[in-house]
Amino acid sequence: MAADEKASLFELRRAQPAFRGLEAGHLACQGCGQALGARLVTEAAGPDVIVANATGCLEVFTTAWPRTAWRVPWIHSLFENAPAIASGIEAALKAQGRLTKVVAMGGDGGTFDIGLQALSGMLERNHNVLYVCFDNEAYMNTGIQRSSSTPHAAMTTTSPAGKARMGKRHLKKDLLSIIAAHHIPYAATASVAYPSDLRKKVRRGLEIEGAAFLLVHSPCPLGWGHDGALTVEVARLAVETGVFPMLEMERGDVVAVMQIRNVRPVTDYLKLQDRFSHLFDESPEARVELEHLQALADHHIEVYGLRGTSPDPRDSEGADTVRRGGLRWG
Amino acid sequence: MGLKTPSDALVTLTRGAFAHAGSSLGLKTGDWRVTRPVHVHRASPCHNACPAGENPQAYLALVEEDPRAAWSKLVSANPLPAVTGRVCHHPCESECNRGRFDEPVAIHAIERFLGDQAIEHGWDYPAAKPPPDALEVAVVGAGPAGLSAAYHLSRRGYLVTLFEARSEPGGLLRSAIPAYRLPRSVVEREIERLLSVGIRLEPNRRLGRDMILADLEKSFRAVFLAPGAERGREWSVGGVVPRDLRNGLELLQEWISIGSLPKYERVAIIGGGNTSVDLARVLKFNGVPEVHVISFRTRPGPGVSPDEAMPALAREVKQAIEEGVIIDDCRGVTRLILRGEQVVGVELVHMKKLPQPDGTRKPVAFEGTETVLRVDHVIPAIGEEVEPFGMEAVLGANRFFAVDAEGQVQGCRGIFAGGDARLGGGTVSDAVGDGRRAAEAIDRYIRGVALAAKAAPPSIGIGELNLNYFDHAPRAEIRFLAPEERNAEAEIEAPLGAGEVARESERCFSCGECMTCDNCWTLCPDNAVLKTMETASDGSHYVFDYDYCKGCGLCARECPVGFIAMVDEP
Repeated sequence: MAADEKASLFELRRAQPAFRGLEAGHLACQGCGQALGARLVTEAAGPDVIVANATGCLEVFTTAWPRTAWRVPWIHSLFENAPAIASGIEAALKAQGRLTKVVAMGGDGGTFDIGLQALSGMLERNHNVLYVCFDNEAYMNTGIQRSSSTPHAAMTTTSPAGKARMGKRHLKKDLLSIIAAHHIPYAATASVAYPSDLRKKVRRGLEIEGAAFLLVHSPCPLGWGHDGALTVEVARLAVETGVFPMLEMERGDVVAVMQIRNVRPVTDYLKLQDRFSHLFDESPEARVELEHLQALADHHIEVYGLRGTSPDPRDSEGADTVRRGGLRWG
Repeated sequence: MGLKTPSDALVTLTRGAFAHAGSSLGLKTGDWRVTRPVHVHRASPCHNACPAGENPQAYLALVEEDPRAAWSKLVSANPLPAVTGRVCHHPCESECNRGRFDEPVAIHAIERFLGDQAIEHGWDYPAAKPPPDALEVAVVGAGPAGLSAAYHLSRRGYLVTLFEARSEPGGLLRSAIPAYRLPRSVVEREIERLLSVGIRLEPNRRLGRDMILADLEKSFRAVFLAPGAERGREWSVGGVVPRDLRNGLELLQEWISIGSLPKYERVAIIGGGNTSVDLARVLKFNGVPEVHVISFRTRPGPGVSPDEAMPALAREVKQAIEEGVIIDDCRGVTRLILRGEQVVGVELVHMKKLPQPDGTRKPVAFEGTETVLRVDHVIPAIGEEVEPFGMEAVLGANRFFAVDAEGQVQGCRGIFAGGDARLGGGTVSDAVGDGRRAAEAIDRYIRGVALAAKAAPPSIGIGELNLNYFDHAPRAEIRFLAPEERNAEAEIEAPLGAGEVARESERCFSCGECMTCDNCWTLCPDNAVLKTMETASDGSHYVFDYDYCKGCGLCARECPVGFIAMVDEP
């Protein structure tokens, strides 16, 4: 490529019609769901935003010293204290009378497990912070160890499938109920497969005065064992099967759900991922686990009322369908 | 700050842009890549299906924003959209990928809307008048094939003389298609506008009567023959014909031109083509109490293969039945029952076209299924052939012109043929396509350029689209006059309004062509898809930045229209 073409590409990059908060050149794997999720969240929140980022993949791949992919002020915290740091930033901004928004980000390890106490404190004190958890359902950064977010029967390096057990024995922690018990103004789940819905929820979380929580389902091609090209497909199937319910809660009550018009069997979701491949060996044990996972999805559909037939099946505010001319995600 | 290159950015960009620490843009993650995304234009099924060569996907994309540009796109292939939007059997809709999702896009109604808009607003055809010293080409026959050839030759800078045997241009559009399907005013206005691109029309000039082919060959650089097929084929049942036998096309043309019909009570029309069905409906509109259409093929409908179905358009057959025409399908005439030379009935037998031991399909009559149908007239409408008078030299003993891949009559250099006069011709849209292809071939012939062997690329299938991004939407409702309100003059199909057309065009999947939906730009985890407000060199609004693209393939997978393909790194 000629030098002037490169320069014009660079000019084009600087002249993008919307704010791009997470720049190219980061070191995430091909097709990383978390990189996509972080991009979408930062773009919806920015540019006037400060990010406090717990240890994890996101922190590692965006900031290979001495460079950064972030185009907003960003601070790395320990694994457990991103909510505490965000609380402090928010208090300082408040004291200065500034309106800059604060977003804390963490993975499921930093949120479900290690940072849960600090998160609970932040929510209890109702800091005006949006906490975003990118849920890829294991400790991916350190080599795919199970977390309390890892779904039942999924295989990780610390919950291997074998003679004794079919992957993780325990269930995925019901974090949303814990969040709901804090009665914060706004909490929601979102998915990288539905960007306009995700952006809408980020903006709502930031508009509302007080603590907000957003759980973003973010497939990990490396840890889940699927092709990077399938990241959005896998995330979409998690929603369409009922495995990952898409909810909005205010003060702990579910106020909106993304309805599923055509509910798909969970096997459609599971069979794309190596972490569930042991469930397809036709053994009686595997059959039990498949049925168990189907029952868990059915349970979600039932308790949250996910089955819907409205013409607006994917999104509580306009279907995620394409329009000629774009800018639908806006 | 005078930033020119990415490396400048690493050291100087600050707040609101890049941090002091240096941007990750210094890390060229593109070198991880083993496959790369590229934009690929793929043919849409509607494009490949159109006999006239239209690309509906391309003009549907423009309809809402700029109807005139959409029309210009449309007439770059087919100069008669107001006509074909009404009379074509629209195979584009049968092939439409949307038809396998919910219902096909009502392409014909949009085509007609654009054609009508152009007539109403007087939009000029996108063609400059040929210069006075342009090379000259003769076109014989001002039907759809001849008009299309003349138009496309004129666009290519040739001076065209269009010879027409009748006093007015239009061919069968004017002489054989009843007004309830194709109003006279539409034919007249569309053709008048078309001719104004600089085509010289010479009416009342019949080949063999007013001029001879050899003279045309001398005076013009090339000749396109599109005389149509207007001579009714010989018909009899076992050598027997009734005394007052009239041919179907002849009756239909007579009624269309002078409005008279013989007095009939009970009629059997033999043949399952459009002439037969049109005539049956005209007879019915004119008060004939009982009209039968007899065909050894099946009536068209879902699940009936085109091989087995009557050649008449399915919607015409449906409307004819609504109007009281009786379709006796899968029947053949075995005997005429005569009193003297007057028909009093026909003997029918069940028939079906079945495969023969030699691999061909032939109608087989089933013994023991004979019935008698009492009628006072039979009218054969079993197809027509070229009237050979004046064209014996190029037609030989054939009933139609045999042409090569270029449309050139075999063994006759510089003489091309198309439309109904060509072996295998059939519909108005086929004729328009013949005219366009012949114009291209004549252009190559005159310039001495060989035909580049170019197989049409296969169209993109529904499996290559990502349907997750499309929502179900009902097809625009096409309104027809109720059967009791119909007559031989008033147009039966109502047009769509501008709002309906806009909504309908939005239903297009844009198969194989970028629709600027922003999916790739939104979903790239590496921010390696850049959007440009100007059109990129490939016609889209997106550019891949291969410095950073890791080649994950997410954009290709999530592209709704199949416009992105992953290819191996060079």
